[in-house]
Amino acid sequence: MISPIKNNFNSIRFGQNDDREKALPYDKDTLLKNNLSTRSRITIDKVTKAFTVYPAKGLKGSINSNFYEFLTMGTVPYLIGSATLMAVFNSANKYFAPFERAKASALGNKMALGVLFYGLFKSISKSFTNIPVRLITGVDTQLPYAKVNYQLQETPEGSDLTSIEYHKVGESVDFTRWDLLYKDPKTGKQNEVFDKIAKKNGLGENLNDSDQEVKPIYKEILVKSNLARTFSSYMWAATGVALAFQKSWENFFRVATLKFWKPKDFVHSLKVFKDSFVESAKELYNGREHSFSKIERYSGKALLGLASLITLLGIINTLHITKKPSKISAKDVMDKNKESVVN
Amino acid sequence: MKTNLIQSYIQGTPLIQQYNSRKAEDNFDVHKELATRTFIKPLPSNGHLVQNTIFDVPSEIYNDIKYNFKALKHSINGEANDHELGYLNDMGMKFGGLAIASYLFARKSTPLTKVMEFVGLGSFFAAMDIWPKLALQLPAYLIHGVDVRQKYVDNYGRKKLFYQDHQFIPWNLYSDEEINKIGDKMGVPKDMKNRRDFIQEKMRKIALQNNTLWMLTSGFATPIMSALICNALEKPITNYQREKQIKKADELLKNFPQEIKKYSFDKNAEKLNLLLDNNVSKNLTPETVNDIVKTMTEGLDAVTACAVEKDIKNILPSMEVFNVNSEAAVKIQNLFIKNFAPLNLSSEISARIIPDINAIENTFNEQGLLTDGVKDFSEHIKAVQSLLERNIQKFTEENPNNPLNNKLTLFRKKLIHSVIHGDDSALKITLKSKHSAVLSEDIKLKLKDTLKIINDLKSKNIVLDQYAYIKYAQAPETVLADDWNSISRNLLKPLGITEKEIKDTRYDRKLVAKLLRDKFDAIVSSDSKYFEVINSIQKELSKLPQIRIFEGEGEQEIGDGAFKEKVVSTFKEASESLKKYGMNSTAEALAGFDEQGTTSLKHIYLKFVDDRILGVKSSFYRILNTLDVYRRIAKVENVDFVLNSTMPREVKEELVELCKNLLISAHASDYATKFYSRRNVELNPQNKAPDFYSQIETHEGKVVNRYLGTHKPEELAELSNDRKFFEAAMKLMYDGELHPDTMNGIKDSVFKQDFLNYRKEVLKYLGGDKYFAKPNHLVNGEVHPSSSLLRMLLLGSAPDEMISKLCRQRYNSTKWLKIFGTLGASLLGVTVLAQFFTGRMPKSSKEGR
Repeated sequence: MISPIKNNFNSIRFGQNDDREKALPYDKDTLLKNNLSTRSRITIDKVTKAFTVYPAKGLKGSINSNFYEFLTMGTVPYLIGSATLMAVFNSANKYFAPFERAKASALGNKMALGVLFYGLFKSISKSFTNIPVRLITGVDTQLPYAKVNYQLQETPEGSDLTSIEYHKVGESVDFTRWDLLYKDPKTGKQNEVFDKIAKKNGLGENLNDSDQEVKPIYKEILVKSNLARTFSSYMWAATGVALAFQKSWENFFRVATLKFWKPKDFVHSLKVFKDSFVESAKELYNGREHSFSKIERYSGKALLGLASLITLLGIINTLHITKKPSKISAKDVMDKNKESVVN
Repeated sequence: MKTNLIQSYIQGTPLIQQYNSRKAEDNFDVHKELATRTFIKPLPSNGHLVQNTIFDVPSEIYNDIKYNFKALKHSINGEANDHELGYLNDMGMKFGGLAIASYLFARKSTPLTKVMEFVGLGSFFAAMDIWPKLALQLPAYLIHGVDVRQKYVDNYGRKKLFYQDHQFIPWNLYSDEEINKIGDKMGVPKDMKNRRDFIQEKMRKIALQNNTLWMLTSGFATPIMSALICNALEKPITNYQREKQIKKADELLKNFPQEIKKYSFDKNAEKLNLLLDNNVSKNLTPETVNDIVKTMTEGLDAVTACAVEKDIKNILPSMEVFNVNSEAAVKIQNLFIKNFAPLNLSSEISARIIPDINAIENTFNEQGLLTDGVKDFSEHIKAVQSLLERNIQKFTEENPNNPLNNKLTLFRKKLIHSVIHGDDSALKITLKSKHSAVLSEDIKLKLKDTLKIINDLKSKNIVLDQYAYIKYAQAPETVLADDWNSISRNLLKPLGITEKEIKDTRYDRKLVAKLLRDKFDAIVSSDSKYFEVINSIQKELSKLPQIRIFEGEGEQEIGDGAFKEKVVSTFKEASESLKKYGMNSTAEALAGFDEQGTTSLKHIYLKFVDDRILGVKSSFYRILNTLDVYRRIAKVENVDFVLNSTMPREVKEELVELCKNLLISAHASDYATKFYSRRNVELNPQNKAPDFYSQIETHEGKVVNRYLGTHKPEELAELSNDRKFFEAAMKLMYDGELHPDTMNGIKDSVFKQDFLNYRKEVLKYLGGDKYFAKPNHLVNGEVHPSSSLLRMLLLGSAPDEMISKLCRQRYNSTKWLKIFGTLGASLLGVTVLAQFFTGRMPKSSKEGR
């Protein structure tokens, strides 16, 4: 068995103040549990830094700014853009005459809800791919880990030289962090993760090199699930927008309130939201029933059907693993004790 | 400067050579090589910077699309690399965007709103792409000489942003010469130590700061820019769509014979053929007749369908003639059994009371009643009745105390009397069970031919409907609606209504009315201004394609001649053809009695278009007429025929005030109720002032009132007995000569005569409308009956309402544009300005340390 390459420099300390170093949550790259708590914590950390630390570093032109920070900052235009899009359709309405204001707001509210649903549906629908893939193949494509990043000293006095980044083990298919999937050799279960995946995918049990056999499969699942997740999530996001554009939401907007300190109104608003959601889903599915246009009657069904189909096809493609090792019969295996000549 | 390995490599020192596997084969010892590590050297780079010109854009787009598909294929097969997977997000986003646009496209009903869904999508992606180029890449290049969005192709042929990852920037792709050139542009001293390092660091810093600015600004910029692009594109797209719609509509009439072929009613014809073929030479039943009628009237309006039904029933042999044969006896006996069933007669009594089949048949036979072609059943009923009566009488005589006796007589009567007056009795209905009428071969062919004509007309009507809808329907984005919008919008400018006035008056129509009155007064008081405004209005109105003169019915008319011609010929052809088959009612319903009626379908087609045009042009004519009246009053010219020497000055002032208000604000209801106006009740005072009958005076377009407004409100009242006041008001507004300046302004226009006719029509119909409460308030004492629709259309939209709506629209769009235009421009300004603060280097590095 070939031992994995480990990061031998984890024990190195940078900076002047040892106390501060100890305050860091991780002292080496650490695999995290993929649960709601961790995901929420990571999201909060990334969003906070995307709006504060990373832009500050970027605007200063810091030598330590990196691609991770640039990608994390992608949240900023996403969130600001959503708010701006809502504002484009709503903020001028208050200046309009009452009738026009009502008409413009009806559309503006739907637009705003559409933006909200776009984000929500896109985010939630990723689970439509992730969960079945994880349950069937045992590969958690979203497994997070905390990366300890050592930075260069920017000023002679600078001591803040370590930062934590949150990545996913499988975020790169070219440089997957296999090393984090290995358990401590001392436990004797070094390949435990790979063994489980091998078993789940029918490669057998007690394999000598389960990691070597699983890695191609793991990589294939990463690639295919990425494709499935991307396309299906955008299709569900589109479905969210379509849902927001149904007439039933007008009932909700009449009573909508975020004033949670007025519990009666707030609870009523939530109840109407639920009812409007159900009604709009029906409306989306049924289309304009009495319309002469077939497109108007079936466009909702078509959109829902397409989103479901793409999700299903994406999952089926992900589960259709082609990189499984071929089963070679014993007679075809080279006997190590015999001499062989290679031409 | 200490040369490191990479730099030596870039400079191409002989020490660095490409690894050649063949050479290494000799005495190659991997352990030795790894131990000494002398063998590990960087390979030469095959990457290069992407230097594209505008001419390379198509090939770049092509290559990008090709790469996208390659990435997609590799992803499906599970073989994609990180770079290829990175492209999936873009593809997914565009795919999802297309899904959204397509869904919303399907939901929208008008061409512009449909197109705008895709324009919105395109503009959003365009804004995402344009913003960093426009606000960051271009200014950074112009100010610093650095292309912050420089791309390069790596060893594997993958295109990437040069400054994507600041921990890995492939500087070796820039030659010394290129770096130095950028350094010169940055003003880096030429003799600086480590000049290349310094320039590189500065470039890196500029790029990083720009990347950060990109992330911080694009969230604001993309939606705003996208919305502004959509806003800017709306007008050209509307114009394009309008032209397209006009062309489409004109093509419908131009290629009329080909267009009608698109609408086939073959299924309907087949249905009728089958029905007729199955029933030919057979007795007709009411059900068959109904089926024939139903099939032949499928898709027709109710009025035409009624006429068709009437004609079909005339063509078919009479359904009121019947055959009576032995079957009738069976049916009559069954009827008797059913009739007496509620009495629960025993079989013995039943046999005594109810005549058997033979008895009935024999009776009919004996009296010669078993014949075909029976119209009158009185003899049959009499014969059957006497049979039954005889049996009942016999039974009653034999059983005088039987409680059934009375009931039997009552139930007997039920057979010959109907509950509903006028309806056939149960016995008569039974006798009428077999119709004599037979569907002959001739009638079958006649009906088939008739349906052919009807279906042909239906096809033609569909095409005519489409044409009328595209051009004139009361719906958004029809040609007429677009014309209304564009012309009415253009009126704001000649009227001189400012943005501030729009803002101040937009909430209230009455404020607009006051504003308009002031504007009109100001316009008519100045010769040059009046000429200019009349000219502008004349030009705008002449743009209306609906105001087109054509030779119609012996005289010149304004309207859509091509459509009228097609409608007339279509209905004439159909009605003449139908008449040949005896479908006279249908012909009349379609084309009118003697092709002249005003209740025919043809008339509805013509009227629909005429009414729509009339409503639009009347609204514009009303503004023109209002200006003319204001001008005549301001100049006190061409008003003497009403404001004459017999009219007291005070009445003149009251009249002028009323007319000026009416022209701006009145609705058809004000005319219908003969105007409500509170006036001085003392029309003929004993002591008349010397200027009692004098003419009104004006100053700068406004009337200088001497009497009006001098009385307290409680001294004023509505003088409903003054019938002449209504007439005078109508005449002042719509009668008499136009002001010469107005006439000069429109004398060469296509609509001059039509405008003059319009004034006459308003005077005639709105002035000749009889109101029960004020029956004598009529122009020239004449009543001219008209529909309320005609009067409403003739009056058109009130100018204050029209302008008020326009003001609100203008204010809304201007306000939106002001908010987001300013925001967009500010964002662009700040982003460009920020460029001057990027790339600042610490002093120590400037000294080359």
